[in-house]
Amino acid sequence: MEDLLREYLPIVIFLGLAIAIGLVFIFAALIIAVRNPDPEKVSAYECGFNAFDDSRMKFDVRFYLVSILFIIFDLEIAFLFPWAVAFKDVGLLGFWSMIVFLGVLTVGFAYEWKKGALEWE
Amino acid sequence: MTPFPILSLVIFLPALAALMLPLVRDDRAIRWFTLTALLLDFALASGLLLAFDSESAAMQFRESYDWVPALGIGYKLGVDGISVLFVFLTALLGWISVLASWSAIQTRVREFMISLLAIQSLMIGVFCALDLFLFYVLWEAMLVPMYLIIGIWGGDNRIYAAFKFFLYTLAGSLLFLIGILVLYFAGGRTFDMLALMGQPYAFPTQAWVFVAFLIAFAVKVPMVPLHTWLPDAHVQAPTAGSIILAGVLLKMGAYGFLRFSLPMLPDASVYFAPLMIALSALAIVYGGLLALAQSDIKKLIAYSSVSHMGFITLGLFTFNMNGLSGAVIQMFNHGITTGALFLFVGLIYERTHSRDIPAYGGLIKVVPLFGIAMAAFLLSSMALPGTNGFVGELLVIAGAFGSTGWAAGAAVVGALIGAAYLLGLYRQMLLGEVRLPEGAKMWDLNAREIACAVPLLVFVFWLGLYPKPVLTLLRATLEQLLAQVIGTGA
Amino acid sequence: MDTDLIAASVRASSPEIIVIIGACAALMLSLWPHQDQQKYLTWLSLITILLASAQTLQLSPRPVNIVETTYSGMFVVDAFATYFKMLLYLGTALTILMSGKFLQTEEAVKGEYYVLLLFALAGTMIMVSGADLLIIYIGLELQALSIYVLTGFLKTRGRSVEAALKYVILGAFSSGILLYGLSLIYGLTGSTQLGVLNSALATADLSEPMLILATVFLLVGLLFKIGAVPFHMWVPDIYEGAPTPITAYLSVASKTAAFAVLLRVFMGSLIGLEPLWSSGLAAIAVATMALGSLVALVQDNIKRLLAYSSISHVGFLLLGIIAGTTSGMSAILLYLLIYTFMTLGLFAIVILLHRDVRAGEPLTLFSGLAQSHAGLAFMAMIFLFSLAGIPPTGGFFAKFYVLVALIDAGHVTLAVIAVLLSAVAAWFYLRLIMLIYIQPAEPTTGSTAAPATGPTGHARAAILLSAPMRLVLLFSFSGTVLSGIFPAWFLAMARQASLSGLGN
Repeated sequence: MEDLLREYLPIVIFLGLAIAIGLVFIFAALIIAVRNPDPEKVSAYECGFNAFDDSRMKFDVRFYLVSILFIIFDLEIAFLFPWAVAFKDVGLLGFWSMIVFLGVLTVGFAYEWKKGALEWE
Repeated sequence: MTPFPILSLVIFLPALAALMLPLVRDDRAIRWFTLTALLLDFALASGLLLAFDSESAAMQFRESYDWVPALGIGYKLGVDGISVLFVFLTALLGWISVLASWSAIQTRVREFMISLLAIQSLMIGVFCALDLFLFYVLWEAMLVPMYLIIGIWGGDNRIYAAFKFFLYTLAGSLLFLIGILVLYFAGGRTFDMLALMGQPYAFPTQAWVFVAFLIAFAVKVPMVPLHTWLPDAHVQAPTAGSIILAGVLLKMGAYGFLRFSLPMLPDASVYFAPLMIALSALAIVYGGLLALAQSDIKKLIAYSSVSHMGFITLGLFTFNMNGLSGAVIQMFNHGITTGALFLFVGLIYERTHSRDIPAYGGLIKVVPLFGIAMAAFLLSSMALPGTNGFVGELLVIAGAFGSTGWAAGAAVVGALIGAAYLLGLYRQMLLGEVRLPEGAKMWDLNAREIACAVPLLVFVFWLGLYPKPVLTLLRATLEQLLAQVIGTGA
Repeated sequence: MDTDLIAASVRASSPEIIVIIGACAALMLSLWPHQDQQKYLTWLSLITILLASAQTLQLSPRPVNIVETTYSGMFVVDAFATYFKMLLYLGTALTILMSGKFLQTEEAVKGEYYVLLLFALAGTMIMVSGADLLIIYIGLELQALSIYVLTGFLKTRGRSVEAALKYVILGAFSSGILLYGLSLIYGLTGSTQLGVLNSALATADLSEPMLILATVFLLVGLLFKIGAVPFHMWVPDIYEGAPTPITAYLSVASKTAAFAVLLRVFMGSLIGLEPLWSSGLAAIAVATMALGSLVALVQDNIKRLLAYSSISHVGFLLLGIIAGTTSGMSAILLYLLIYTFMTLGLFAIVILLHRDVRAGEPLTLFSGLAQSHAGLAFMAMIFLFSLAGIPPTGGFFAKFYVLVALIDAGHVTLAVIAVLLSAVAAWFYLRLIMLIYIQPAEPTTGSTAAPATGPTGHARAAILLSAPMRLVLLFSFSGTVLSGIFPAWFLAMARQASLSGLGN
């Protein structure tokens, strides 16, 4: 039992640290932050959202489309990096596997593009 | 095995006609086409009866093909003395039904005739099947056209009656199926009836299967207390439906007892015989008393059927030659006589649109031919000596005296009650002052109607005066059956 | 990395690859609108399915008991998978054929519809070929995600969208349960591969609580997917709301694939745990049949009615698993095939009668059909009698064979309960037949009683039978009738597929 618990010790330390640091930042912002709002700071963002507003607001479905697009490239990078690093070892088979993968991604990308997900207006 | 598949031909001829019927143009042509097909089938069935060798108890005209070999299912046909008789009866009532609905059915004639042809095929198939699976398929498929006949062309309350008929019979049949499957595994994975007959089953198996079969057959017969669907179905069904229902479908239950319960489950049959006899006696008396209280002609005849079918089941479970042959003859008789009575009710209903007994009187003066013929059938139904009914009932009662005396007494009482309500009907409707329901348009039997009645009348008197041919036909088969029950049982 | 091994794997999964390529091609095709686009897409999808089935047949193991395991033991090609794939092709192809008219009536013709159906097909194919719980799960999700979208495909209709949302939430919930059971199994045995599980569980201690929990979770997750009581509550709502062809797909192909998984997992790998699940499953089967049959009695929407009817059929199918023998398994395989025929046929008729999704699908849609369309009415009657299990239709033989297996395994009492409940179920099929043959058609307005014949006064305009619809009806009708009259051939296929073992 002791051994088992000891194995979890790093996790407990990790959790403790995470909570402590989180709290430190929150309170630090409250205590030592400089507050001098000027018109530029409180005006709406470029995307059209107010800087200070209810967080449960409606926003355009196009944001979702953009984020889905992001996922496509995100995934691509996540696979491409290790593939590139190990390129010498994976050989021709590895090369073609990646090409197939990219091909499937491209189909999805082409679909989004044609459907107009990239056009904001 | 015969080189020529005569049984398949008899079975499938009506079905083929039904398949061709959508191509026939108008209602008139459809009626003639159906009539021709069924007359042809009747001719074949008569030929079958004549060619049948009554000396032998073996199955004749056999055909055998694989169907689902993986499960031991075959397409096996054959007839013995009992089934050949019923194939004949079915074919006879088939064309009579067409004539009976000639003018009575005016809507959706095509569908009606298709249903009629389909049910003919299926019924003949049931009597010829020598494979349990085949038997079951045909047996249950029979519900469909009958359901449609009652449900589409029936009286005002037809939907209720059709549902009741279908669900009662279906529930019974499904138990029958379970029983069949239990036998299938107990009998070495075959559905071949002849193979299943020859095997000794353990008594508990026999008993359970017997109960499952009993429920299925008792619904069909129908035996009290599972008879309540019958009056509804009969009252609502169109004339042809009633004729087939009374003439053939009810026989299926009794045929089931003969074909399966007795030879396959002899020990259980002997064990349950007292119960069966008691139920039969109950049906005879109770059905008769109910019939006595009816004022609707169709209901009266329906309850009289319950009573008469009681004689049949009584005869079956006496386990002696008299009882058995009486039961089979009674089955045939009941088909002829009750079929004829329903036919006549249909004829009068066409003229008057009333089934209320007190609304009638003195018909014999208005429509003499009709009156005389109906009187003959009523007398046959009450088993007057000289008519076919007498032979059957006498043999059954004689058989019953040989086995269970009190049941024979009950049967005699039942016969007396039968005489009471049938004579009552006779006197009320046919004799006395002329009285007709309002709006009645009377005419005496026309040529078509005479054509329906004459063959039935012939059988009434022929069997009443000279039953020997039928008895010879049955003897070998029944002796073998008796040996199967008594030989291994008792 | 052994290139040969990879090549063998790719070859083994070539039907799936074909379907996915077809789906991608259809997706591209859908991007360039064209007036005959729907026709092209239908053809493209059908050709894809045809090619995939040709490939599947070509790969089908000869002799049948050979099991080819690829992708490091995660993917199998055996007779069982081949049979199920053919069944799925059939179901999907018929669904595609019957969709054209429906989408036109609903003005919802979109290329994505066909793409998603093909992806769903790929998902179900992976499910039936998966030999690893995770692969099965991935296939399941691919199928489920496609169907979620298809359920809500009529996005201007409230009912469709509502059904889609419900389906997503409940589907995700059940997937979660399944995944939890799966992870527990992994925790206990250290593997998710069915073949490994089989040997690892052979010696397991059946009283281990974790093992019981894992089995229960896995079972519940799968029962959810097939809609067995008490996890059936999503079925009626989603069947009612989904576009009718998708309802047909749901009740046929989705269920078929889920049953394949159920069989492969529970009768293959977890057969050693049978004492844990068999009695519970028996209770569930009876409850499913009872609830399905009884609740269907009071439905007045045809799609809801068919939903409950499909629930009661699921109960009957589960009996095959309870039998626990190979003949029980082949009974399920045969049943699913025949069920595909009769259900799709009936749904095709519902689609033909369908006028407007707003009007819903009341039972009265069927009334008077016999007067206006005798042929269609006859077919509907055969499908309904087949669903009720009346001979000589296929539905009877399917039920019959399940009963044979059940009684062979000694469960006579269950068989008696099953047949009595199916007599109850016959009632509502009969009710529909009565509507078809007896009730006159509803008059369009509250006018005086419609004349017995003739199109005047009838709500129903003449039904135009397009060529694809004719094909669907021809296939499903002949399948229903032939499997009833000549069952030997169908039976042989099902037996061959199940006798070859489960690939582990």
